[in-house]
Amino acid sequence: MLGRERIAITGLGVVSALGSSSEQTFQRACAGERGFVPVDLFDTSGLRSSLAGQVLGLDVAAIAPRGEAADWSRSDALALLAAREALTAARAPATEPLGLVLGGTTGGMYETERALAALPAGSIEPRDARRLLDFPLSVSVERVARVLGSVVHSATVCSACSSGAVALALGASWLLSGRVGRVLAGGVDGLCQLTFTGFSALGAMDAEPCRPFDVSRAGLTLGEGAGCLVLELESSARQRGAEIVGFLSGWALGSEAHHITHPEPSGARASTLITDALRTAGLAPSDIDYVNAHGTGTVQNDAMEALALQRALGPDASRIWVSSSKAQIGHTLGAAGAIEAALSVLSIQRGALLPTVGLVEPAAPSLRHVRAPNQKSALRAALSCSFGFGGACAVLAFEAPDAEKRVLPAPQRGSVVVSGAASYGPLGLLTGAASARYLEADTFAEAELDPLTLLDAERSRRFGRASACLVATAEGALQSAAVTPAGTGLVVGSAFGDVTRSVQFLQKLFDRGPKFASPAEFPQLVASTGSGNASLYLGLTGPCLTVSEFATSGENAVSVALALLELDPTSACLAGAVEARDAIVDAVLGGGPRRRSEGGGFVVLEDEGVARARGATPLARLLTHFALRGEFDAGLSRLGAPLAESLLITTPLPVEVEAALARSAWSGVPRRDVSSKIGFHEAIGAAALACAVAQIAAEKCRLALVVTSDRGLLYLSLLGAPEEAS
Amino acid sequence: MDQTELKSQIKRAILEELDLRGKREADIDDSAPLFGAGLGLDSLDALQLAMAIEERFGVAVPEGEPARAVFASVNAIAAHIEQAKAG
Repeated sequence: MLGRERIAITGLGVVSALGSSSEQTFQRACAGERGFVPVDLFDTSGLRSSLAGQVLGLDVAAIAPRGEAADWSRSDALALLAAREALTAARAPATEPLGLVLGGTTGGMYETERALAALPAGSIEPRDARRLLDFPLSVSVERVARVLGSVVHSATVCSACSSGAVALALGASWLLSGRVGRVLAGGVDGLCQLTFTGFSALGAMDAEPCRPFDVSRAGLTLGEGAGCLVLELESSARQRGAEIVGFLSGWALGSEAHHITHPEPSGARASTLITDALRTAGLAPSDIDYVNAHGTGTVQNDAMEALALQRALGPDASRIWVSSSKAQIGHTLGAAGAIEAALSVLSIQRGALLPTVGLVEPAAPSLRHVRAPNQKSALRAALSCSFGFGGACAVLAFEAPDAEKRVLPAPQRGSVVVSGAASYGPLGLLTGAASARYLEADTFAEAELDPLTLLDAERSRRFGRASACLVATAEGALQSAAVTPAGTGLVVGSAFGDVTRSVQFLQKLFDRGPKFASPAEFPQLVASTGSGNASLYLGLTGPCLTVSEFATSGENAVSVALALLELDPTSACLAGAVEARDAIVDAVLGGGPRRRSEGGGFVVLEDEGVARARGATPLARLLTHFALRGEFDAGLSRLGAPLAESLLITTPLPVEVEAALARSAWSGVPRRDVSSKIGFHEAIGAAALACAVAQIAAEKCRLALVVTSDRGLLYLSLLGAPEEAS
Repeated sequence: MDQTELKSQIKRAILEELDLRGKREADIDDSAPLFGAGLGLDSLDALQLAMAIEERFGVAVPEGEPARAVFASVNAIAAHIEQAKAG
C-alpha cells in the first residue's frame, strides 16, 4: 500500500507575552521567564487574579491596513503578526494560492466589550448595537485573508481550548485531499473581560502565577497571543527548496462527552486520542521524547492529563520529558494549541527543553517533568496535547526535520453519502424526507415551538434557545441516520454566537462588578457552546467543533466535516447550522425586505462504504461541495450538465451570482428559493441543504444543486440519488 | 422573615439559578441532600448557588470543603443564612 505524504512545516510565527516572534518567545520560555503582568486592558478588581500573559505594546493601529484601525481587533492584529512571521520564514511566493484556518474562542470580544461599555445605559438601539456584531469569531480570518490576498480556502474553528490544534489538523487534511497546496494554520485569542471574569467565577484562576502539575496548583493564569504554522506536502516543500523545520506527523481529534467544564477524571478518552495520534503518525511511545502538555494548572486538568499520559505511553511515560508552556505564556485558550505546536517544533529542532516554571513538587512524580531552565536534550518526536471545555480534545505529533521516511497510514475516503438529515423551521423539527415540505407549493401554518420541549429537561437545563434548537435538530439528524453517537463527529456553523446572552452577562458585570458573574452561565457563552452541548447531550465522542463564516457558516461546516472525514473516514460526522432568535441580532439585521426567522438544518455525512457496511440506507449522495470567491462561471461549469429530473435550490442570491447562474447550464432548471417558505436567518443555507437531501430521499428529483452566497463567497453543493454514480 | 419563607426563597433560588425546568418547590425536600444523587447537581451548580446565595441573601458561602456542609440540604443553607445574619 502506498502511504500518505508527510506534512512539512516550513514556517513558524508566534506572538505572546514573552515576545513578538517565535524565536523570542521560545528563547525566553526555555530560559524560564514568565510573561505575567498585571492586566491594564480592563479593571481586574474583585477578580481572583489580576495577572495574565498580556502582549504589551500591541499597536493595533500600526498593524491594521491604513484607514481600517477602528475596525480591527487586538486578535486580528495578533493573528496578522504571527501569520506574517510564518509566511516570511517559509519564503513562499506570496501570490501562490493559500489555505487559511485559524482557531479561536473569543474573536474581537475585547472590542465588543468596549463597544458595549460605550453604549448609553439601558436600552440597546439597533443603530448603536450594530457595533456589537462587528467582531464575531470569523473576523480575524476575514481580515488576515484580505491583507494576504492569496487565500482561496478558509475556515475559523472553535473547539474551546483545543481550537488551535484542531486548525492544524484541518490544514493537514486540506493538503492531503489536494484542496490547496499550502496552508497557513494556527490560532489566536486576545484577552477580554468575558473569559477573565468567567474563569475567575469558575474558581479556575490561580491568584498566584500558575503552577502546572504542582501539588499546590490552584488554577490557570490566562494569556493572549497567536501562533501560525505554514504547512505543505513534503514533496512540494522539497521541490521549491524550502527549509523544513519539522513535520506534523500525526493527529487525533475527539470528545469526552462528559461535562461542560470538567475533564473526565480517568483520562480514558484523552489517552485513546494520544494513542490514535501516535498511530496516524506511525509512531510508538518509544519514539516520543517530549510531551508539550495542555497543563493548565487547574487541579482537574493536570490530574486527568497525568493519568492519560501514563495510560497511553506506558513504561515510556517515565522516560519522556513533559512540560507545560502555560507556566510561561499563560493559557492563551484558542491560540494555545497552535502556539504550543510551534514551541514543540522549535524544541525538537534545537534539542532545547521547555521547562514548567513554578513546578516545585510534582503531583505526578512518575512523569519526567522539565523543571530546570536551559536544559538540552536530543528530541526525535513530540506530542502536543490540547483539551477544551465540553471535552473537546486534540493531540498532535511532531517530528524532527531529519526524521527518517517511513510508510505512513493513508486513510482512503470513498464517496460521501448523506445518511441522515433534519431541518428546524416554521414547521418545527422535520427529519429525513419530511423537510421536502418546504419545497412544495402549498401554504402552511407556522408552528409556535419552544425548542426546549423537544429535549430532556434535566440534561438540557443549562441550554439557551440557541443550543436547544441546535441540539434538537442534530438529534433529529442523528436518529434519521440511525448511527451510533460513539465516534461520531459534529461541525456546527455559528455566525455570531449567543449575542444577547453574552451582552446580558457583560452588562451585569459592568453594573455590579465580577462578584455576581454567573459561573454556570460563562461556559454557555463561548463560541463552541453549541457543539459542546450537542456532544454532551447526544454522547458524540468524535471531533465536535464550531465554525464561523457569517451567513455561510453552515455551508462552511459541511466543508470542514468533509475535511474531518478525509482524516478519519471510519466515523460519521454531523454538519450544519441552526440559528435561534436573538433580540440583538434581529434588531440589527432585521427591518429589511427579508422576513427574519429562526432555524436551520443538519446532515449526517458518511463514507459510503462505512455507511453500507453498517446496513444504513443513504438518503442521498453528496457529489460535490465547494466554495468560491469570484470566478463563479468557472465554478458552475465544474458541476457539469444537469439531468432531466434536476432541481435548483437556493437562498436569496446577489446579482452577480444570478448572472452567472443565468449563463450556466443550470439556467433552465426548475428552481425553489427556500427563504420564501422558511424566512431568512444566518443558517438558511443549512436548511436549504437539508431540504435538498429530503427532496432526493422523497424521490422528487434525482439531482439537486444547492446554491448559496454571502459576502462574496459562493457555495455549490450537488446532491444526487444514492444510486447515482459519483 | 420566618423560616418557612426563607426555605421557600432558597428553593426558588435553586430552581431558577440551576435552571431546573419542570421542577417545583414541592419537589425539593428540606432535609434531602442537594448534590450527588438527589437533584443530580454538580460542582458547577455549587459555584452558581454560592454566587446566588450571596447575591440574593447577602450572605457569603465559604469556598471548598466547608461549602459541602452548607450545601448539605435546604435546611443547612437556611441555618447558614440565619447564623450569618444573626452573627
